[in-house]
Amino acid sequence: MNILLRSVTIIDPQGKHHGQQSDILIKNGKIHTIAGQITPEKNTRIIEKDNLHVSRGWFDSSVCFGEPGYEERETLANGIKVAGRSGFTAVAVNPNTKPVTDSSAQIAFISHKGQRTATTLHPVGALTAGGQGVDLAELYDMQQAGAVAFGDYKSPVTNPNLLKIALQYTQNFDGLVMSFPLEKSISGKGVVNEEATAIRLGLKGIPALSEELQIARDLYILEYTGGKLHIPTISTERGVTLIKEAKKKGLDVSCSVAIHHLFLSEEVLEGFDTRYKVMPPLRTDKDRKALIKGLKDGTIDMVTSDHDPRDIELKKVEFDHADYGSIGLESAFGALNTLLPLEDAIRVLGAGRRRFLKEETTLEEGAEADLTLFDPQHTYTFTKGHILSTSKNSAFLKQELKGYVFGVINGSFTEIEE
Amino acid sequence: MSELSVDHLLGIKYLQKEDIDLIFETADHFKEVINRPIKKVPSLRDITIANLFFENSTRTKLSFELAEKRLSADVINFSASQSSVKKGETLIDTVNNILSMKVDMVVMRHPNPGAGVFLSKHVDASIINAGDGAHEHPTQALLDSYSIRERLGEVAGKKVVIVGDILHSRVALSNIFALQLQGAEVKVCGPKTLIPKYIHTLGVTVEPDLRKALEWCDVANMLRVQNERMDISYFPSTREYSQQFQLNKNLLESLDKEIVVMHPGPINRGVEITSDVADSGQAIILNQVENGVAVRMAVIYLLASKIKQ
Repeated sequence: MNILLRSVTIIDPQGKHHGQQSDILIKNGKIHTIAGQITPEKNTRIIEKDNLHVSRGWFDSSVCFGEPGYEERETLANGIKVAGRSGFTAVAVNPNTKPVTDSSAQIAFISHKGQRTATTLHPVGALTAGGQGVDLAELYDMQQAGAVAFGDYKSPVTNPNLLKIALQYTQNFDGLVMSFPLEKSISGKGVVNEEATAIRLGLKGIPALSEELQIARDLYILEYTGGKLHIPTISTERGVTLIKEAKKKGLDVSCSVAIHHLFLSEEVLEGFDTRYKVMPPLRTDKDRKALIKGLKDGTIDMVTSDHDPRDIELKKVEFDHADYGSIGLESAFGALNTLLPLEDAIRVLGAGRRRFLKEETTLEEGAEADLTLFDPQHTYTFTKGHILSTSKNSAFLKQELKGYVFGVINGSFTEIEE
Repeated sequence: MSELSVDHLLGIKYLQKEDIDLIFETADHFKEVINRPIKKVPSLRDITIANLFFENSTRTKLSFELAEKRLSADVINFSASQSSVKKGETLIDTVNNILSMKVDMVVMRHPNPGAGVFLSKHVDASIINAGDGAHEHPTQALLDSYSIRERLGEVAGKKVVIVGDILHSRVALSNIFALQLQGAEVKVCGPKTLIPKYIHTLGVTVEPDLRKALEWCDVANMLRVQNERMDISYFPSTREYSQQFQLNKNLLESLDKEIVVMHPGPINRGVEITSDVADSGQAIILNQVENGVAVRMAVIYLLASKIKQ
């Protein structure tokens, strides 16, 4: 089927059509024509919306869907729908399933479910067998089956020698190793950031030091081994500085920041609301501002929603007992576009693709259609009505957001709000 | 002010100065009642109170129960060791089951910070926090301030040092909030490992030396070391702790003034405080216990009168 985007503003800072308002005709999954006004043939689906904008499709480097094992949190089928409606044409899916995604068969299962869909799924393989942090999983075999990176999600690599070996071993096949920045002997039983809020609430604190130490250690190892390291969801000011210095030295390191760490700081925890219980914990406003600055100056390579659905039974309990995690796909663009100029928001939403998928898309005639459709001006209060996920554990409920997503076009597949 | 600004007593930080004044005025009245030959008033004959203790307690539980009975309320007791909590029932379900039996008020002690706040959002009853993890223990702070007021005339302008394990102490936190709200000045003293790094954000200062802290203060509140809340060892031995942070007779007598000594109990005699100090005229430890009943009667009475409306 052919699709015509009527009178759409193109946001593509790296491309030649940036800022242009045109019609875009998509034929057989490819961008056929970009022109002032196009007269459609019969059987063309016409998409016409107020203040319609388009950009290259977005990528999220850290998304959890429950399947297999935790389907009550989210299924792959509904997760794909959520991601599409939130503007993402590709997502990296974390291995924190049950069983843990640590073999090529499991990678193939997820990859297969995420093909011929509007959002392509790119599985992340566990770094260690069973995610136990002891022995490496079959990384090469998983990469052959479609794994785009290796990590044990929020379980840090506690043994430095294991990280050393992983960074050395993956160099033969250009693998990307992820290491969650948390030194657990420092964080102990902490559940929130260590500063004022932890004291006022009597909750055990997680010092920023626990993140900084682990990042410093990992960078030191990387300098020795070489290889490719990705540090997901940094949350501290000093973390940004450490990575900035490492990049100056020429180390092959990338990092991401979760959008909730850009948008919220620890004060929101005052009412013990478990929706704000995330890992790493929400930090101070000073950290938050440093993260935004790091994102703008390129120290932080990409943003992620760090989408982590948890059902109500895991959240509607005492704060200490509640699971960590917030969903974030549905609110990702609205939150980011509230904080950053539109072009910056679009840039960081696409930026992880090169690192994880080793490819870029383009927005020009002849290219594969990989597009996100949105309205950057629309403002609204984010409510449960905006949540399409099975679990509703969003840290963004009741927040004022600017920017609304209509959906995506990915080759011949679409997921667009009617 | 004739009624409290809150419907629950979840922590001192949710109160206003006027609330504390009202509680103290009411407690004055009840203190007179409990010293009569007939120590009971019929005020709460139509109120049922559940004491839910998910963590061990001796004096707080007894004090609450006595306060409730002196007010003629019907009382039921529940403690975690006998409960279905161990079978995996959630806190909300446990409490809702009890409330279905037509209970008006819940007094709860719980090991998790914020448990009282959590409950107040999800169940329909007036909640009194009798200690939630390292968060707050509001009635303890109220009875502490009440006892200072009784001994020294007023709390405003007084200098109070809290000594010991500040990191794990709900008593310290509630006392800091209560004393500051009433215009007192607060310092903390203890091993650096047991004082939160960011304690200055609460507007209190740290005095590492016990002697200097005592020379500065009007009142010293000696806390117990809470071994049960520690996941690691924060100091090498109680012997070494005592060498640095024990209040003993020699130290007390070497000061050039007479300070008031408090302790929320239970006392580890010979660790943070010696027997001769705990039993001396400067210590108001047993007055604190007596005032605890009057203050808790006041809190229960004032919250119950809001339910009746």
